[in-house]
Amino acid sequence: MEQKKNNQVTKSLLWLLLLIIAVIIPWILGSNQYSVLLVTTVLLYGVMATLWNIIGGLAGQLDLGSFAYLGLGAFTSGTLLIRYNFTPWMGMILGGLVAAGFALLIGIPLFRFRIREVWYALTTCALVEILKVVFTMWEKVGGPVERYLPHYGSLYHMRFSSYIPYYYLMLGLLLIALGVNYRINKTRLGYYLKALGEDEIAAEVLGIDTRSCKLKALVCYSFLIGVTGGIYANMYGYIHPSFFDGQESIKVAILGIVGGRGITYGPLLAALLLVGIQEFLRASIGGDVSGLYLVIYSVILIVVVLFRPKGIATIFQDVYQRVFSRRGVEKKNVQ
Amino acid sequence: MCRKKINLGLMTRFSLVVLASFLIFSFTVVAETLPEKIVVGCLEPLTGAHAVFGTEAKVGIELAVQHINQAGGIQSLGGIPLELVTEDVGETAMSARLATESLISKHHPVAVLGLYISRLTTAASEITDREKVILVADALVDDVTEMGRQYLFRPAPKASMQGRSAVEFVLGAAEKAGISMEKVAILNEDSSFGRSNALGAVQGALDNGLTIVYQKEYPYDITDVSSIVHGIAAAEADFVVHCPYFMDAIIFAKTFRELGKIPKFIAGMGACGYTDPESIQALGEIAEGYSNTYSYNPAKDTPQNRKFVEEYTAKVGHIPTEAAGMNYYGMWILKEALELSGNLFPEDPLNPDNLRKAFLELDLTSGPAVEVFPTDHVTFDGKGDNPYARATILQVINGEPKVVWPFEDAETECIFPRLDATY
Repeated sequence: MEQKKNNQVTKSLLWLLLLIIAVIIPWILGSNQYSVLLVTTVLLYGVMATLWNIIGGLAGQLDLGSFAYLGLGAFTSGTLLIRYNFTPWMGMILGGLVAAGFALLIGIPLFRFRIREVWYALTTCALVEILKVVFTMWEKVGGPVERYLPHYGSLYHMRFSSYIPYYYLMLGLLLIALGVNYRINKTRLGYYLKALGEDEIAAEVLGIDTRSCKLKALVCYSFLIGVTGGIYANMYGYIHPSFFDGQESIKVAILGIVGGRGITYGPLLAALLLVGIQEFLRASIGGDVSGLYLVIYSVILIVVVLFRPKGIATIFQDVYQRVFSRRGVEKKNVQ
Repeated sequence: MCRKKINLGLMTRFSLVVLASFLIFSFTVVAETLPEKIVVGCLEPLTGAHAVFGTEAKVGIELAVQHINQAGGIQSLGGIPLELVTEDVGETAMSARLATESLISKHHPVAVLGLYISRLTTAASEITDREKVILVADALVDDVTEMGRQYLFRPAPKASMQGRSAVEFVLGAAEKAGISMEKVAILNEDSSFGRSNALGAVQGALDNGLTIVYQKEYPYDITDVSSIVHGIAAAEADFVVHCPYFMDAIIFAKTFRELGKIPKFIAGMGACGYTDPESIQALGEIAEGYSNTYSYNPAKDTPQNRKFVEEYTAKVGHIPTEAAGMNYYGMWILKEALELSGNLFPEDPLNPDNLRKAFLELDLTSGPAVEVFPTDHVTFDGKGDNPYARATILQVINGEPKVVWPFEDAETECIFPRLDATY
């Protein structure tokens, strides 16, 4: 009992230490804008993959549509800003609501007609492309030409000349994403999602309303991704149908899977490692031999999947358990 | 009297020594502040959908740097050579921003060339303006120079100018051939580049009293264009002005042939979809007679251009493409700006504000940069555009892209109207 309590304290201290590091990172990196942008990008993927974990990891639905919700959030917030000078601080919340509303519209028939596994993956993948085409043709909001947001230097417009404010916004979203994951994990909904993620038919036999559970997970995930989209648009300074990016959606799912499905911090860990490695390779060899960095990145990905099919988070789980179980045994021996 | 003379001599000698010391000192200071090499960045999409253009652009820049260094580097700065650093910008605004920040923070270049795609250029130009790094852009969308960027310069003709040029070429060729052209169809793929081209073509058509009988903006990844080809034929368009990339150019050319509904002329604008070596190879004899605007003139008969065409062809296997040509002369124009900055601001020639002033002061009518530029005049307006930029037009004749317009610079006579026209 005491050992369990000690482990809990150690865990909390570890998280606190990580949080302190995350808070001071921009000050350590100082004026190097590249490094701040890089860590902000890593956090962006971390947020996306952590949120994906709700629908993809816990509920076991291979969702490939994250950038559909991100694009909806970006367009809602961006369009409100461009047309009505509506502050993105509110715009991003509305973006989240639009994304969640759209997810609801899509989710009800999908789950009603039991679209799952590869069919669910294909449907969500197609969703991104459909939205891309719709927004390219919808001249009043989208169209093929980029729509630029107001220029720098305004808190009201969420347009900053430095990446540091965006970093903290992403960090805030990441904490929310981790918190939501953690909370769901501990509630009845989390257990239901895990059950249906393991075996949907068995979960139904046990009396779980799988349709409702999946819908709740989808709405929660899409709302927060939509909010992220609002920040994304302001960080890049424009909105364009290319935001509905199928490849990037697949990348988010890969991070979620490689990190460890269902493990709260797994996708974040994958984002830290894989996005970091990819960018390091791109920056160091991308200019010399075109595409080589993508080959190396893919090989790393294959190796990870081959040797750690349950996700790289399990490496840390193993190390953590070994260290703390040994400490526990040593303590027992001393007593 | 005599004493006075001696005193004056001493004063003069003293003054001369002081002046000489000052000159030597100031020269030493300048020499100390100048680097051993001037770093120039190349930011191009080397992976993704636009990798083919980015790779060609990179080869063009590499050759220009090689030629400039062989010619003695930057003469006004004591012959300092250029050093090129390259990063892949990928195909998203996210990757373009990362690449630009990374290159600037690691290498501190005085200027960068690239990014080919307008949305990537816009994302990167926010950074180059913030860091006061000159960006010699090769993205042709009109808006690129409409955003008030201070350190962005674009030597090549903008997209709307290419659309207008395509219309003017067809009308000129028709007049020469004694054929009346009244009805035009305008097509473009659904990007900001396609639309900029189309807007220029629409304006050109209206200014010349033409009737636009059909206009269509289609998705760039379109797979079936038969309804569009039928629509053009139904509208009885005399000619088509079209802005395609690679795949859509091939689909359109094949569909025109398969359906047998070929207007009197089909002129490409921007993107060089119809006359790119890859397109000609993919289309075979169907490519014959298609024309496209080009931001570079591979047939310009000057020593520097011949040297470039020869070495590029030896290296890549075909004549320089638009992306390669634009960046080759872009690099030479940057070289001329550095030379001018060295002359105008010898105390701090690489200061970004001085280099910017040098760009705005440029007025080139001769020299290697002009020898490879499509026209004989390079200068920049306050927005960063070159008002003397003009497109050339290439037509596929006997399987080879040949310069046919402006007529005074033509390599050969254009084939007009199309030999396989069906209506």
